[in-house]
Amino acid sequence: MSDAPARPAKAARPVKLNVINEPKDSYTGGKSSLCPGCGHDQISNVIIAAAWENGIEPHRIAKMSGIGCSSKTPAYYLGQSHGFNTVHGRMPSVTTGAYAVNKDLLYLGVSGDGDSASIGIGQLIHAIRRNMDMVYIVENNGVYGLTKGQYSATADVGSKKKKGKVNTTQPIDLCALAINLGCTFVARSFSGSKKQLTSLIKAAMSHKGFAFIDVISPCVTFNNNDESMRSYGYVKENEITLHMTDYIPHFNPVEEVEVPEGHFRDIELHDGSTIRLETISEHHDPSSPMAALTALHEAETTQKHVTGLLYFDNTKPALAEDLGIVDTPLIDVPATSLRPSSALLDELNAALLG
Amino acid sequence: MGGAHQHVQRVHAEPQSHTAPHFGESGPQGTRTMETIANDYTINIATANGTGSQSANLILLQALFEMGVPVSGKNMFPSNISGLPTWYIVRLSDHGYQAPGDRTHIQVLVNPATWHDDLAALEPGSVVIWNENAKMEMTRDDVISYPVPMSGLARKINPKIAKLVTNIIYVGIIAEMLGIDQEALNSAVAKQFKGKTSAIELNITALGLGRDYFKDNFTKEDPYVVESRTVETPKFFIDGNEAAALGCIFGGVQMLAWYPITPSSSLAEGIINYIPQLRVDEEGDATCAVIQAEDELAAAGMVLGAGWAGGRGMTATSGPGISLMQEFIGLAYFAEIPSVFWDVNRVGPSTGLPTRTQQSDITMLYEGSHGDTQHIVLIPGTVEECFEFGWRAFDITERFQTPVFGLSDLDLGMNRWACEGFTYPDQPMDRGKVVRDKDVFEAFEDFGRYLDVDGDGIPYRTLPGSGMDPILYRGTGHNPKGVYSEKPEDYFNLMERLRSKIDGARDKLPAPILREEEECEVGIIYLGSMENTIQEIDDMLESTGLKVSQCRVRALPFHSGVQEFIRRHETTIVLEINRDGQLYGILRKELPNDLITKVHSVAYSDGMPPRARIYSDRILSTLQEVNQ
Repeated sequence: MSDAPARPAKAARPVKLNVINEPKDSYTGGKSSLCPGCGHDQISNVIIAAAWENGIEPHRIAKMSGIGCSSKTPAYYLGQSHGFNTVHGRMPSVTTGAYAVNKDLLYLGVSGDGDSASIGIGQLIHAIRRNMDMVYIVENNGVYGLTKGQYSATADVGSKKKKGKVNTTQPIDLCALAINLGCTFVARSFSGSKKQLTSLIKAAMSHKGFAFIDVISPCVTFNNNDESMRSYGYVKENEITLHMTDYIPHFNPVEEVEVPEGHFRDIELHDGSTIRLETISEHHDPSSPMAALTALHEAETTQKHVTGLLYFDNTKPALAEDLGIVDTPLIDVPATSLRPSSALLDELNAALLG
Repeated sequence: MGGAHQHVQRVHAEPQSHTAPHFGESGPQGTRTMETIANDYTINIATANGTGSQSANLILLQALFEMGVPVSGKNMFPSNISGLPTWYIVRLSDHGYQAPGDRTHIQVLVNPATWHDDLAALEPGSVVIWNENAKMEMTRDDVISYPVPMSGLARKINPKIAKLVTNIIYVGIIAEMLGIDQEALNSAVAKQFKGKTSAIELNITALGLGRDYFKDNFTKEDPYVVESRTVETPKFFIDGNEAAALGCIFGGVQMLAWYPITPSSSLAEGIINYIPQLRVDEEGDATCAVIQAEDELAAAGMVLGAGWAGGRGMTATSGPGISLMQEFIGLAYFAEIPSVFWDVNRVGPSTGLPTRTQQSDITMLYEGSHGDTQHIVLIPGTVEECFEFGWRAFDITERFQTPVFGLSDLDLGMNRWACEGFTYPDQPMDRGKVVRDKDVFEAFEDFGRYLDVDGDGIPYRTLPGSGMDPILYRGTGHNPKGVYSEKPEDYFNLMERLRSKIDGARDKLPAPILREEEECEVGIIYLGSMENTIQEIDDMLESTGLKVSQCRVRALPFHSGVQEFIRRHETTIVLEINRDGQLYGILRKELPNDLITKVHSVAYSDGMPPRARIYSDRILSTLQEVNQ
């Protein structure tokens, strides 16, 4: 991208570098054209911070998205990464195809509730089913923004957007869906919970398999009124946090560890990093799909939003293992291995002649 | 291919096809001079789907083929797993005609459901081999009747699989009646059941029972015989889908994403079957990923993802699948993503006739997706070309950074055709304008994903993960740098460049195959599987004194040679298997005004593979109208 970074660098302070000696500026993108105060911009900033702090080479990330306000955001972060703003609801399939030929990139998908819960729900489901190795963030605000504020399929019953009637149609809880499908990493967060969201995204980046994060991200223009159940005010008041989260990177475990008070649970991720869950209100077992579904159900009946790492499973193989392909990413396989020899064709012709 | 129009000497008189009984007044059962007809007739076998008749029919076809007889087989099967009527049409023709022919000379009746219709359709004097145990009656007395207790004979071998064995019994009957070599039958059975000893033994026994039954119970009353022929170039039978699959394998396909659909599934499955043999490393790990997608939309998305990431991705589908893929096809065109789509055409519109053949996706492929688009379409007409275009499609898609379609059809794709063998690609893989090295990248004065550096409309691209010129690919309007733009000049220039890029492909795509007459009166433009009928059409026209030139289009956009062909001829007919004359429509749109009036359409489709008589009659009547 040729666009300027979103935030001007502060001049005087010495530039802080991450573990691979990159400044944070290497992870920023173009200027956002979303509405001021949009939850999505906060998520973009968290993505920038998470990738920088995790020390991922920016060019090894592939930014994937569908269509909608959320799907525009890849232009606003990770300017040194290739990306693909695909078609509405179809980002999972494009990502799957790219992954099949180059499994060594970190695929970071960003989608919205229209993109993921309506038009693209089939592709989301099948990407989960395949345990496609990617981070999949839904920036979920309950409305269609670019088409000016229609309800989406995640709008809560009883919620009312700025204009129009109260929603009475049953919402789709994407986290419950993902858990039921056996998704290997399921979290919910809130764009206003920067610390929790940052550790969840960092953990998702360290996960091998489908890492799903549903982020409640208020639409300041169409769905941030008092009667909305996805407004900043409502979510702040009605968020049940399962646990405090902390991420301990594999490359620097000592520095990040803070001795927690009370109970905690460390979950080791595929790259050796750890996500530390500090129990607050209840003892949530993220290895139990029943516990996760119960937490979601209880929150729904009380019109609250439960956040944190709901479910985690590191035992299932990611898609690449199922494909039975060579270890080298297919795009790096030399032509001599892609085209069988003329001798093989001769043999084949002879065999067909019988 | 190519070269002058060769007329094969007619060795035997053709049976009269539109006249009264072939035999004397005493009727078929009476005395007559036994004039034999060798290798020039059509056998129609009426069975029910799912009864195992296909393997019996393929044994018959293969046995005839092994005797060197030019033969073709067409499977007219229903969209059904079991029980609905199926016909298998075997044509023997020393002329090399491969279309089903105008009439049936030998009818095999096994299926009660179509019994009366099949019987009624026969011309007097035809041969009927029928299953006496089918509890159906022979209602014609003007045919040569061979009643055979097929089910009873089959039950003698094994009552449990009598239904299956019934089919091989009629092959035995036909074999004895026509004089098919037992050696050829043995070899065909061995090929069909590849080393399964018990199946081979069972089938040989059943064939023997059929042969003996004919020998013991009938005196040959029909004129039809098989004469073996010496074959100069050995050939094998293969269907177009398997040939295309092999072509894709040799084209270095790296990702196949597909959703099952008749009649393309066997193309995808062909690739899957050949990967373990041809595309694995020492450890048995594959160099091609295969994903069975949740639907055709996802399959198309995966193909684009692979192409975007720098791999060779493809899918195989049919018309309904292409309908679903339209959105992605537009994205591939606009964002310039290499991607290969094979369309094995079936009868539309909608679900149509899923197991019948047609050339009706031409317009949809050429102008696929919303907005102004134009796509490259490769159109094989032979199994050799299915293979060749299989690998070429990848080179072309990466060279031009645009979607490339392979357009086959059910007739070519699912029926078996004689093949001389496949030719190894005559050029190394062309990966197109991909910048892989930092040095090369830095040598560019100015780099933009969509910058036309060379003036051929084809820009340079870098790959995700390379760190070079990272951009956010998009289906929205963009400037030469790939950045979102709604500026009128950016949009206009982009669309003009895309037009010039595809235009520049015309003469780099497979050129038309021309067979020209000196007279240059009438030219016929046709495409794809019509190749298998064109010779017969040509001979029929020539028998009326009309000599026609042929031009087989093998790619869209049209090669400049097509326009020259039209210019050289007084009148040109565009012949195609559809209702609307789709190829004709595209041609009219692109021809200069002075040529448009020289071109006329003959388009016909009823779901059946093209029968020469129908098309030659229509060509003649169209020419008559034109000349009036």
